[in-house]
Amino acid sequence: MAGVIALTRAELSRLAHNRRYFIFTVAFPVILYLLIGRQVTAHAYQIGFGAYYMIAMATFGAFSGALNGNAQRISQEKKEGWIRQLRLTPLPANAYVITKIIVSLATTIPAIVIVLLLGRFYGNVHLPAWEWPVIAVVVWFGSTIFAALAVAIGYRFAPDQVQPVTLIIYFIFAILGGLWFPLSGFLGKVGQFTPTYEAVRIGAYVIHGDGVPAGLPIGLVVWLGIFVALATVAVRSTAESV
Amino acid sequence: MSQYETATATASGYGSSRGGAPVVSFENVSKHYGRLHAVDGLTLDLRPGETVALLGPNGAGKSTSLDMLLALRKPTGGRIRMFGEDPYTGVKSGRVGAMLQSGGLMPEVTVRELVELITKLHPNPEPVAATLKRAGIAQFADQRVDRLSGGQTQRVRFALAICGKSELIVLDEPTAAMDVETRRLFWNSMKEEVAAGRTLLFATHYLEEADQAADRILVINRGRLLADGTPAEIKARAGAKRISFRLDRVDEPFLLGLPGLVNLDVRHDVVQLQSSDSDATLYAVLDAGYRPREIEVTSLGLEQAFLAITAEDDAANGTTHEQETN
Repeated sequence: MAGVIALTRAELSRLAHNRRYFIFTVAFPVILYLLIGRQVTAHAYQIGFGAYYMIAMATFGAFSGALNGNAQRISQEKKEGWIRQLRLTPLPANAYVITKIIVSLATTIPAIVIVLLLGRFYGNVHLPAWEWPVIAVVVWFGSTIFAALAVAIGYRFAPDQVQPVTLIIYFIFAILGGLWFPLSGFLGKVGQFTPTYEAVRIGAYVIHGDGVPAGLPIGLVVWLGIFVALATVAVRSTAESV
Repeated sequence: MSQYETATATASGYGSSRGGAPVVSFENVSKHYGRLHAVDGLTLDLRPGETVALLGPNGAGKSTSLDMLLALRKPTGGRIRMFGEDPYTGVKSGRVGAMLQSGGLMPEVTVRELVELITKLHPNPEPVAATLKRAGIAQFADQRVDRLSGGQTQRVRFALAICGKSELIVLDEPTAAMDVETRRLFWNSMKEEVAAGRTLLFATHYLEEADQAADRILVINRGRLLADGTPAEIKARAGAKRISFRLDRVDEPFLLGLPGLVNLDVRHDVVQLQSSDSDATLYAVLDAGYRPREIEVTSLGLEQAFLAITAEDDAANGTTHEQETN
């Protein structure tokens, strides 16, 4: 555990040296919210559009932050031999991956906090005090699903392949999950099975106030299970080439 | 029949004079990639305090052997022990510090931050300031790791290998990216490590380096151990001295019967021979009544010895190698 803490601190110090990382995870959801958050008066998922779009943009920022930067970094660090170097130290084998997920959780905080603040003060979303942390935490933990996926992609693909792979996944989950606009019809039905939809919909049910259907949190846990399994297979099967 | 038995005899025969449980042992270790045998029945022991060079041409299986020792790859067959444990447990106990060609550094942090990180991961490390000084990197400790020159990067890697004060240090081609001056500094600090009682295993294809730095050399080629001994013994194995002279009436059968003769080459009146005992060879020539002219006795370097040993092996192509290790 001491090793994980030491590595996490070094990783956070690294992020402090490279703030570009934050700009991308924070800037896109903020700009989209500023452009669209107040322009639509309709309801979505039975709540005001401003509230829906706030949760959607927080999820968008958190999941793109967990996926894009991490997958790229892991792939690069594998290629350059940093993962190999760490394997020569007493740091336990799984500590690198655990650290990446912890660091990913840390990097998604700014996007979530800023978008929720924007919803409150720009989008005029008024909620009971307890609902804010619940929504933030659901989105936050939901982002670990994509942190696990980032590990799988980072181990599996070379750095120059990571960009297109994450971009495709990012578009599929953002659109099908209804992050940019709520879907209806066939795509809407398919989209209900995405973790992005599940995270946003849990928040919407919390705001609407009539209980969260169990299928949604179960769905998130299943996705987490799938991506953790993919990540484990990717790490194990590339062990000799790392 | 084999490589396994003969190599065991060589290795243990050498090791028995040192005492102590082996720091590292390979028992008939192989690593096969399909039909390619990167490492093929390697058996060896390292004793505490030894400085051992793993010497072989590119592709001889040096890196693969070190990778297996460091639990980065799994052997196809055989058994590796480090401090009596499996390699993974050995590495995770912090008793080995390693520097590999392929080892990368964490980007976007300073040299000091990186050394601090790796230091913290070890159970009884060296103080960070001491590591920076010994590796000669204190003057650029506040620079970012991704903005260093090749030689500086190599020194940082070296710092990561020694910062844990580990009992065993493993280095794969440590001086590959270093200039002459850095190389000299590197071996000086390495000697301090050895003086502090550490065991050092390094792979190299620079013969000079093996000759100067190691007190024992393991010659490997095509994944197999060909020779195991002190630099002097390795040189002796291929015929330590070259003798040349001119002789008017050359009697080849007589020359072939000379004591210590390893190799003979006669062109007209010029005789060139390699001998494991140049004095005895020369006296025998004189005692037989010959009076050769322009006598020259020169030492064969480790390079010739090494080339002779690997050339013999390549010529034999794996069929008669048990003779070569004797």
